[in-house]
Amino acid sequence: MSRVLADVRAFGSQYLRSRVGAFFALAFPVILILLFGSIFSQTGSSQVPLYVQDLDETGMSREFVAALNNTTVIAYRGIPTDADFLGYIADHSINVALRIPEGFEDAILLAQTDPNVRVNLTLAGDETQSTYGIAATVVARVATEFNFVIAGAREVIGVDRESVAQEAFAYIDFFMPGVIGFTVMTTPLFGMTSISAEYRTRRFFKLLASTKLTKAQWLAAKIIFYVVLMFASVALMFVTGIAIFGMKATLTPMAVLFIIAATVEFTSLGMVLGIFVKDAETAAAIANAIGFPMMFLAGTFFPIDAMPPFLQSIARVLPLTFVNEGLRATMVFGNEAAALTNLLVTAVFAAVLFVVPARALSWKSK
Amino acid sequence: MADRVIEVRGLTKIYEDIRAVDGIDFEVERGQIFSLLGPNGAGKTTTVEILEGLRDPTAGEARVLGEDVRTAYRRIRERVGVLPQDFEPFDRLRPREAVSYWARLFDRSTDRAEISEILETVGLTSRADTYAMNLSGGEKRRLGIAMALIGQAELVFLDEPTTGLDPGARREMWALIRDLQRKARTVVLTTHYLDEAEQLADDVAIMNHGKIVVRGSPGELIRAHGGATTIVLAGAGRPGYEALAARGIHADLRNSDVLVHVVRSNEVRPMLATLASIDVEIDHIYTERATLEDVFLKVVGARMLEGVLAG
Repeated sequence: MSRVLADVRAFGSQYLRSRVGAFFALAFPVILILLFGSIFSQTGSSQVPLYVQDLDETGMSREFVAALNNTTVIAYRGIPTDADFLGYIADHSINVALRIPEGFEDAILLAQTDPNVRVNLTLAGDETQSTYGIAATVVARVATEFNFVIAGAREVIGVDRESVAQEAFAYIDFFMPGVIGFTVMTTPLFGMTSISAEYRTRRFFKLLASTKLTKAQWLAAKIIFYVVLMFASVALMFVTGIAIFGMKATLTPMAVLFIIAATVEFTSLGMVLGIFVKDAETAAAIANAIGFPMMFLAGTFFPIDAMPPFLQSIARVLPLTFVNEGLRATMVFGNEAAALTNLLVTAVFAAVLFVVPARALSWKSK
Repeated sequence: MADRVIEVRGLTKIYEDIRAVDGIDFEVERGQIFSLLGPNGAGKTTTVEILEGLRDPTAGEARVLGEDVRTAYRRIRERVGVLPQDFEPFDRLRPREAVSYWARLFDRSTDRAEISEILETVGLTSRADTYAMNLSGGEKRRLGIAMALIGQAELVFLDEPTTGLDPGARREMWALIRDLQRKARTVVLTTHYLDEAEQLADDVAIMNHGKIVVRGSPGELIRAHGGATTIVLAGAGRPGYEALAARGIHADLRNSDVLVHVVRSNEVRPMLATLASIDVEIDHIYTERATLEDVFLKVVGARMLEGVLAG
């Protein structure tokens, strides 16, 4: 045990002295929380700019624009009536714009008597931007309300909104488990893969082989260090979340177990990848090739349910998915039963991944 | 038997189609500096790594400190110190920390005084608190030796400890290696520097293509293969060369010097008397002793420069 602790201490001082490692483990997650927290926590005050070209310029068309503005989601911006609609969008890099055609009011008035009259609004822009989707929904909603009025109908089915989480949680509470999952995966995984490459090319493994330290002890020391580092990192994330965004999610005992199991899992996975790595460039490439798709597919930042079915089936078997889902289950929904299932899967992954490099690799060379 | 630290019989290591080590035999006595001397790729490092328990031999037997390297390598590692080839220390540890860390990996707890003493031995006292990445090449190697010694090793493997060092740093390293021997440690030294083996080793094995070509103390090897002594008549020139030839004495001309080779050491004095009786103008007269370089050239058939065979 004294050998393991000596290795934890020596490795830890080197790690923290390198600063780059310390930045990604400690400062980077805090920056993520500050960034995403600021962007999404105040959706109410941030509005989607919608550029409108009103070719009709009548009372009715102005009323439509006013209705859009009243949703508070949209910030109205005008496009001159003499401008070419699509050209103007391209020239000004506009995400989303609406054109109200000439004859808009006439059509509405005619519709009271002629059921076959129809008038089309044109919505144009970059469909990959989330603001496009928001604007499209709002325009459709306002158009529907106008249709109700014209047809003399009224809304019968309404929707009340209620949060499924335990308490009134904010965006930051849902985001936190993802950032924890992200950090406990990337820090040990990327770190261990490059350390393996460095230790091999600089013959540190050979040097360590001349001591009494075993490979399993060496790996255990790395795991202990990363667990301590991850708790320090999570503590910083919580302080930031609570102090700046009034976060309410708590670090449940189950979440603590998750952080430990996931750190063992991804430290060992880094070591397994390190077996196949010959140099530092390959190490970075392999860690990125495995880490980045997993980060996006495992529901770290986007919900898995929103993915196409074949991606969902991949996501369902990724180690990080179980960590993310489990952390959300315990920290946000208080669903300890669901969290426990995910924890068991993570623990099994961790045990297997630890045993493979600890057993398969002796210090001996061929 | 008790003072035999290493015994190697028929040791062979084959990588795919290369016989890196090809059936070698040798033994090392306690307290000796034993040198494996040879060009790059001769099989020196492979041999040493088998003895350290880092590689398994393909065939043959190797016993270190009385134990079989195949089965007892864990116990062997506790009792040997290793400075690997191209040793690099951990960048962001200070020598004091690195030595203390290494002691722990051998289950030894050391106090500050002991660490200071070992850093003093290797001449790193003034650099004890500098990050290893900022040490010079020679200082890094000496830190490696301090780490190899902290486990209280009886046997120390130094794999090319002076390769790439400047002449000053090499000389400091030589002094340190002699010091190890004085402290009753057995040293196995691999090198491709002939002068290093000649200066330091009690026993030399010249290796080439995985085999030991010759083996013995530097003195024995020089006597057996070095062509003994050369008497130099400095400034004798062609007239001197011709005068000797007229008396039936075989000589070589090197620039303006005339060289007379004497095979047996008991022939040196009579030859000097003969030469004194010949009336030739000379600047001065001196003798040159053969070196391991001459031995190497004779037994391997090529010269060696920085580990590479030439000519």
